[in-house]
Amino acid sequence: MLEKVREAILAHKKDDIESLVERALEQGLEPNRIMEEGLIAPMDIIGEKFASGEIFVPEMMVSALIMKMGLEKVKPHLMGGQLESKGRVLIGTVKGDLHDIGKNIVAMMMEASGFEVIDLGVDLSAEDIAEKVKELKPGVLGLSALLTTTMGQIQNVLTVLTEMGLRDQVKVIVGGAPLNNEFAEKVGADGYGDNATEAVALCKKFMA
Amino acid sequence: MNPTPDFERFKKVVKGEEAERVPLCEVLIGYSIMSQFLGREVTPEDVASQVEFWSKAGYDYIPIPVSLMTPGKVTDESRITRLLKKMVLAKKPNETDPKAWNLEYTSFIHDRSDLDQFPWEAAAEIDYSKLDAVGDLLPSGMKVVVVSGKIFTLTWMLMGFQNFSLNVVLDPGFVRDVFMKVATIQYSVLENVLARDYVGGVWAVDDMAFGSGPMISPEAFDEHVFPWYRKMADMCHQANSLFILHSDGDLTKLMPYLIDLGVDLLQPIDPSCMDIVAMKQEYAGRICLAGNVPNEMLRKATSAEVEKYVLHMIKHAGPGGGYCVGSGNSVPDWSDFDNFMAMRNTTLNHGKYPISI
Repeated sequence: MLEKVREAILAHKKDDIESLVERALEQGLEPNRIMEEGLIAPMDIIGEKFASGEIFVPEMMVSALIMKMGLEKVKPHLMGGQLESKGRVLIGTVKGDLHDIGKNIVAMMMEASGFEVIDLGVDLSAEDIAEKVKELKPGVLGLSALLTTTMGQIQNVLTVLTEMGLRDQVKVIVGGAPLNNEFAEKVGADGYGDNATEAVALCKKFMA
Repeated sequence: MNPTPDFERFKKVVKGEEAERVPLCEVLIGYSIMSQFLGREVTPEDVASQVEFWSKAGYDYIPIPVSLMTPGKVTDESRITRLLKKMVLAKKPNETDPKAWNLEYTSFIHDRSDLDQFPWEAAAEIDYSKLDAVGDLLPSGMKVVVVSGKIFTLTWMLMGFQNFSLNVVLDPGFVRDVFMKVATIQYSVLENVLARDYVGGVWAVDDMAFGSGPMISPEAFDEHVFPWYRKMADMCHQANSLFILHSDGDLTKLMPYLIDLGVDLLQPIDPSCMDIVAMKQEYAGRICLAGNVPNEMLRKATSAEVEKYVLHMIKHAGPGGGYCVGSGNSVPDWSDFDNFMAMRNTTLNHGKYPISI
């Protein structure tokens, strides 16, 4: 049955996922096992296929959607009726940058990989981001900038985090078209993700 | 240095032949750059000065947007924004937040009911006044390239990218119907503009790729977008006009489709992920390539560095035609004027065929 659950996610069988998860529960499979092996595990395959160019954003998004539908079915059967988050991630685009496609894809893949994602939105000032870090205490802060004219804002966020004494309390990962590892190192970020798969891998690394 | 426009020269090179010199090619140049070039302020309304700039700067055409959605950022003044604002205010007269009708912030077509209720008739009322005004001002040898298209971009923006992406897989029939509405309007523009003898081509500006590759699968593009572009290319060719395509991102996986559907010129060959010299070697004789001078270089390099870069590209991509010099996207106002001039002057001074750099 777990194989069929995995297959529903990989082959975009949206209409089947809920009944498949129900049947898996009826057959007495452990909810945690359904979640880990049936729902989260195929997202690793999806991430690999996306990173290698075998599938594209729509296919990845649909798999993530189906996975979340399956999770909602499992959730009431987990201890306390809650998913055990792998960690909290705050994500948003920096001041002046409205481009949110990449950020949304990363957020979706992070959620599908078991992280609690709080999407702060777009066009965020360094001060607002830092206040949210202070309030919500995430393990990882993901910052996105798509423009060469806005990438400098990432440095501002890091500076404000340091000034507020928060920098050593959160790992900061960055992404976006004009960015690279060299930029991330230069501004003092903890990691750079070239795509959603790499961003998820960084979260796993920092919140293992 | 007083270059004279010659659209036939541009066309010859686009068709893969050598002409008098390598053409210059941009789809958008900022008014600040135009103003610095002419030594007086050029405004969006001052079409005569715009024609003068494009002509004297060495371009063989002037790009004029005639479309539901024009290149660049969606602003409060954009035609699509004005249309959407009217639509939103009809439903919510007290709405005051500009984000409620700006496609950069929100989307409008989430289901078939939204599709049916969208004001398509009003959207189809395209303004041709600037095109007609420019038509009367063109110097001898110069033509207009009409900037239109945005079939892909406008469709996903109207639907919202996430909703669009999900439906590409889960309800392709719905997506096909939205494309049909958007593309029919853009296609009708071609029928009108190509009847004007001063129009030499159509430039579809439609970003289809990220730096990592296509935004949707090549098969999905082939199902939803490329049939429309094939029709547009056919219509341009029947009118003896060029069909030009602008898209950012890594288009490598889409190249066979773009060549097959009849794109004459592809611009700007995004320098963050594609190398125009390598592409010229691979696609020579099948499609003309333009651009690839990085915008960051135009912004902050020295003029000597720009000259060296342009010389390298003319030397390696210029021979045989099928190549035009241009930026890796456009020449926005924040470009360094001296660097724009270095790109332009290097082309005019060293781009003469046969290339002997």
